[in-house]
Amino acid sequence: MASTSISKAEKSYIQAGLLANPPRRADGRSLHDFRVISLETGFAPLSNGSAHLSIGRNPHNGSGGTDIMASVKLEVESVEDDASDRGRIVCNVSCSPSAYPHLTSGALDDLQYDLTTVLHQTLSHPSLHPKNLSIIPRKKSWLLNLDLLVTADAGNIYDALFMAARAALWDTKVPRTRSVEYKSPKSLSSASGDMDVDQDTTSGFDTRNVAHATDFELPDYWDEGEILEGRERWPVAITLNLVKTIHFLDATLQEEASCASRLLVVHSYESPTSPTVQSMRMLGSEELSILNLKNLIKEAESYTNDMFSSFTAKLEDEDFRRNQKARERFGKRR
Amino acid sequence: MQSAFDRRRINGPEDSYHPVFANKIQESPSNVHIIRENRKISDIRPIFLQPGLISQANGSAYIEMESMKIACSVYGPRQSKNTAYNEKGRLNVEVKFAPYSCELRRSPLRDAEDRSIAVAIQQALLSSVQLEHFPKSTIDIFLVIIEADGIEGCIASGSIAASTALADAGIDMYGLVTSCATAVIGTDLWIDPTQEESNTASGTLILSCMPALGIVTNVWQSGRIAPSEILACIDACNDRCTDIHSVVAQALLDSAHNKI
Repeated sequence: MASTSISKAEKSYIQAGLLANPPRRADGRSLHDFRVISLETGFAPLSNGSAHLSIGRNPHNGSGGTDIMASVKLEVESVEDDASDRGRIVCNVSCSPSAYPHLTSGALDDLQYDLTTVLHQTLSHPSLHPKNLSIIPRKKSWLLNLDLLVTADAGNIYDALFMAARAALWDTKVPRTRSVEYKSPKSLSSASGDMDVDQDTTSGFDTRNVAHATDFELPDYWDEGEILEGRERWPVAITLNLVKTIHFLDATLQEEASCASRLLVVHSYESPTSPTVQSMRMLGSEELSILNLKNLIKEAESYTNDMFSSFTAKLEDEDFRRNQKARERFGKRR
Repeated sequence: MQSAFDRRRINGPEDSYHPVFANKIQESPSNVHIIRENRKISDIRPIFLQPGLISQANGSAYIEMESMKIACSVYGPRQSKNTAYNEKGRLNVEVKFAPYSCELRRSPLRDAEDRSIAVAIQQALLSSVQLEHFPKSTIDIFLVIIEADGIEGCIASGSIAASTALADAGIDMYGLVTSCATAVIGTDLWIDPTQEESNTASGTLILSCMPALGIVTNVWQSGRIAPSEILACIDACNDRCTDIHSVVAQALLDSAHNKI
């Protein structure tokens, strides 16, 4: 993992602070406190959904902190013969070299690839798949490209990535489509006006010639589309950093370099009271017994519960700000 | 139009499809009820583990678990030339899928999926090797997957083979690492799932641990599993890992006897 180089003295100083009673961290937070998280949705007007998230940004001048920009772009894809026509989700994380100035381009590629794998494997799993990504059954479907750009990394990158991904997917609107069928024009030469010929009346009960949609069009509509289905399912991640007997949340870069390992647990809340675990990864070389592992998983669930409710409240707030409040402001101007 | 994308090989036609065998045409997997033929849900596949097959490597192991075949070789500890001084040794794991290992042909060039399996195996082995004994050195572990049967199988068998190869190379270790995978299908926990079984599963979990010390070295989970089921999966995997450990220890013992 990308980490700042840190001397042994500093490492042991940070560890001693975390293991002390009461625990001490450089910015005075408790072990389970997060830094300030700021979120803005819809910052990219050309995308179907977007979010800009930062953790630990300095409130006075907006500098510092882990900064992620996430955007969703939908593309139309022709369905291969036996592949699924329900649509696809592809996640991609790219790390800007300005976020990791000490990494070579090969190491940066590897880091990008690792982050992409975790996100893609979690978010593209069939259990989270939204239902409204199909356009024409067996012919065309939407390909959802979720791109995340890391512009700054001040620690806790996984939590930030999953949060930004969730916010962008929450904000995504799928354009409405209308299926279109092509019909050959009626031939002009038959029975033009000389004879009255009974045209074949097509009965509504005639089910032999079923209309098959061959193409689609985008009707004019005042909004960007319908909301991507399953928005409450998108998961929330929490990283527990482990130092000997204790664990702490939201580590800064120096704290990450001082702790030997961390456990990433991702929960999904399809029903608000009973979350399911969508993904779990262990990173690092600390020893962990089975009992400790089970306890950590339980703790992770309780932290994620808190995180989830406040995150959803913020997302709904953002929706309100951009729709209702914007209309009110516009109405006042007239 | 580019004549050949890869000039070193004879490229086939641009669009090609793998053949579908007549007896395999069946309904989509979600409708077919999968039954395990030769073993119970709580049994692992029988393991064939042979250390020391690759004579030019410092240590090697070949593992076969029904349709899962992996050859692993360990080179090291050797000098790491280009990295800066580090007081602990480095563990470098490289995984390669043979082009004929999966149903769809894999590219002979480095693939994307290779790295995610390599990272998982490295994570599993990291706490087991006494890297403080090898400053400035690298231990290279190369795995070739000859036949693959699901990503969970690859990670699990790969870590077992790698740990055996490390022991065969005589590298200082704290303990042997064994791995086991579980899939949640409906309400049942199926141990050691094949590719087909994990495709129908709602979630899978791989646990790597050192049974001799009771330490977990890696947890890898994907898909949807309820928290209570996760704890049950971890317990089931842990029990199986202890069984696998005795197999590995016996294989190493036999190989050591044969060397004498």
